[in-house]
Amino acid sequence: MGHSTLLWSVVSWLTFWGMLGGIVTPRIFSRKNLDVSRAGLAGATIGAATGPLGLLPLWYFGPRLRTSWNVLSSLFIMAMLAWGFALADPDNPCVSDGTFVASLLVNGLTMGIIYGFMALGLSLIFSILGVVSFAHGEFYMVGGMVVYFFTTTWFPGSHPLLGLAAACVITFAIGAVFECIFLQPMYRGKVERPVEYGILVTFGLAFFLQYFVQAVAGTNPVKARRFFDFPVLGIPSMADPWLIKTTQGSLMLFNAVSLSNPRLTAAAIALLMLGLLLLFLYHTWIGRALRAVSQDPQAAAVVGINPEIMNALAFALGGMLAGLSGATLVQAFSWVPQVGMLPTLRSFVIIVLGGLGSLPGAFLGGLMIGVIEAAATGCVPDPTRAAAYIPAYGMIVLTLVLLLKPTGFFGRQQ
Amino acid sequence: MRKWKTLCFCAIICAGVLALWSHNLSAADCPIKIGGLAPLSAPGAVTGGEAMRDAMQIAVDEVNAAGGLLGCRVQLVMGDTEGLPEKATAVMEKLINQDKVVAVGGEYHSSPGIAAMEVAHKYGIPIVFAETWNDGMTAKKYPEVFRVAPLSSEVADFQSRFAAIVPGVKKVAMIVENTDFGRPNAEASVKVLEKAGIQTVMFPVDIGTQDFSSIIQRMKAAQPDLIIVIVTGEASYNFTQQAADAGIGPENLPMICDQTALESKAYWTNVPAGNYAFVMRVGIPPQRFNDVAKSFEKTYMAKTGKKAAESYAFEAYDSVRILMYAIKEAKSSDKKAIINALEKIKYVGALGTITFPYGMNNPPDKNNKEDKWWHQFPEPAITMLQYQKKGQDSTQAVVVYPTSYKTGEPVYVKKK
Repeated sequence: MGHSTLLWSVVSWLTFWGMLGGIVTPRIFSRKNLDVSRAGLAGATIGAATGPLGLLPLWYFGPRLRTSWNVLSSLFIMAMLAWGFALADPDNPCVSDGTFVASLLVNGLTMGIIYGFMALGLSLIFSILGVVSFAHGEFYMVGGMVVYFFTTTWFPGSHPLLGLAAACVITFAIGAVFECIFLQPMYRGKVERPVEYGILVTFGLAFFLQYFVQAVAGTNPVKARRFFDFPVLGIPSMADPWLIKTTQGSLMLFNAVSLSNPRLTAAAIALLMLGLLLLFLYHTWIGRALRAVSQDPQAAAVVGINPEIMNALAFALGGMLAGLSGATLVQAFSWVPQVGMLPTLRSFVIIVLGGLGSLPGAFLGGLMIGVIEAAATGCVPDPTRAAAYIPAYGMIVLTLVLLLKPTGFFGRQQ
Repeated sequence: MRKWKTLCFCAIICAGVLALWSHNLSAADCPIKIGGLAPLSAPGAVTGGEAMRDAMQIAVDEVNAAGGLLGCRVQLVMGDTEGLPEKATAVMEKLINQDKVVAVGGEYHSSPGIAAMEVAHKYGIPIVFAETWNDGMTAKKYPEVFRVAPLSSEVADFQSRFAAIVPGVKKVAMIVENTDFGRPNAEASVKVLEKAGIQTVMFPVDIGTQDFSSIIQRMKAAQPDLIIVIVTGEASYNFTQQAADAGIGPENLPMICDQTALESKAYWTNVPAGNYAFVMRVGIPPQRFNDVAKSFEKTYMAKTGKKAAESYAFEAYDSVRILMYAIKEAKSSDKKAIINALEKIKYVGALGTITFPYGMNNPPDKNNKEDKWWHQFPEPAITMLQYQKKGQDSTQAVVVYPTSYKTGEPVYVKKK
């Protein structure tokens, strides 16, 4: 370690001025009868980034707060932290090795896309039904299992993309049937405590799916074959492939950043499906109806939308998105009936970070968690602890964001 | 008349006392129940757990087919530890208090093993561990705890000695499970490797970790010459294949994989790019099998459809079979009698002739031995195998170390 005192000074500066700005700014704005809704976040970020230089004018003039100020301050905070870290630990690969950082970021983004895609389903269910599905990870697991058994047992030798389609159909059907039988009584007033009921009944589904698959498929880890083999290429030439070099199982960019075929394929499929989902939600009547129900179910019913059908569709679609995430990742990870537990927890972190019920928030949250987990694991100075804290990195960021913005990035105020 | 009545009463009392005494002598709560511990759900090493369950059941079935024990049928009551200490505690409490087992065998992971051991000690129930390597388990010198598996420090010493003879190895990276199995094993390996002048770098991860991509990038940046995987279950498959995807897999760099790689079918399904992996095997190599090992393997293959029995299957088989042998020797299923019989036992099993030379009657410290040798089978054979063909079965893998068991030369892949 180099100048670790400097790093801790930076951290102390950020913490002190950030806390002072976050606590005092809303009070001053409130006393001046100004909008306080964004004052806490703006005070914290401007305070941490500039200290008294930014805070005193902010308190004195009380200007109208702009999002760009938060963004600029956040970037400045990150730059300060990076500078302090680089001085404190100059031998860290995150400081001394640019290709290492690029690899971490690309891998983090790739995983983030898939995390975001999975969390999108959970957010969709919450935004429309108001139910937090604890069975989300089990849909993810079922999706992967369907692809494996479809391509190896039910239709041996068939292309995994067909398995992917089967996974969509099966997880959609499970979601729709479950919603119709177990969740609809909630909206019809047949359940005394709907919130608790929603939690318990989705927990029940999670246990049922996990142990049902365990009983039917066994507990041995399985893995589907690669969906596609990359063509063996060298760009600009095979002799000197400095731009792109591919083997059947991996892709190398700039002779530095390596990406595995299964992850890249999974992320590409997730992006494609995300595009289709957005098209569906924003350019079809059913999609608009779904969004209408998420905003105001009663008003939607007035204009002829049946909220019960939309609820069933949302739950089925949410489950299908989780199933699809699992279906794309079964070629990258070993799959067991308990594989969904960690992704469920991660999805909860992501949707709270992005803002409960917000679809763009869920996707952005997924990207953030993917990059943070990758970067923190790669950069924590002590390699003997870096990987042991993977689930904690997301939690730390979630706590910080909730302190500054309790609704998450894109959450709606109730 | 009164005299006769008194005599009859005394006779009945004597008969009752005699019956009770003979009941204790021959044990006799039928069936005799033996507990079996194994991880049968994730995050435990399910592949290993299922193999152990089948092996323990075979041991019990064989004894029942031969007429049972002390005139009773033997019943194996399985407990799923899931590889988690808290589960192991709950399972042991159930086995002892609800199922009334007289002894317990099996278990794969050390952390649940340590938890199970404490419960066994609390109730004085004998337990013979099959595949838990943690030195501290026997070092506690509990009268109830026995082990047929090797010591972690011995295994670490073996794999480190092998790593040290791999040409050109100056730096070893270890991916280590953050458990009572992983940590001590890695620390012991570090000591041996550093003594041999080899630099080490350790990357601990939580049990059940799925995505290793960032840590693999970090490991790659450390530029190791050899990688040792001290992670069990499907996590070891995930790591090995992801390392292969990143260009530091067994086909690019010498890699000593975890024992779950011995499950050939699961290994090749999950790690298609896993050729040239080295993997350690505990137990006598097939070419030196005794009659018990041959007979067990034949039954095991018929039962499971596998091409061979894994090392942990042999250990699980012996862990339960030795308990039944001890019950037979003790002529009782009383827990103290079983423990006494185990202390004196000389049992020929699938792992060879098993004895526990150091215990209450012959404490290790009186023999200048460390406490870890308490109730420890001192001579389990260990070999290093290497897959040298894609899809190869572990039984056909080449034994490359030690020289006494060697069946072929190792292939050392060149670092790219």
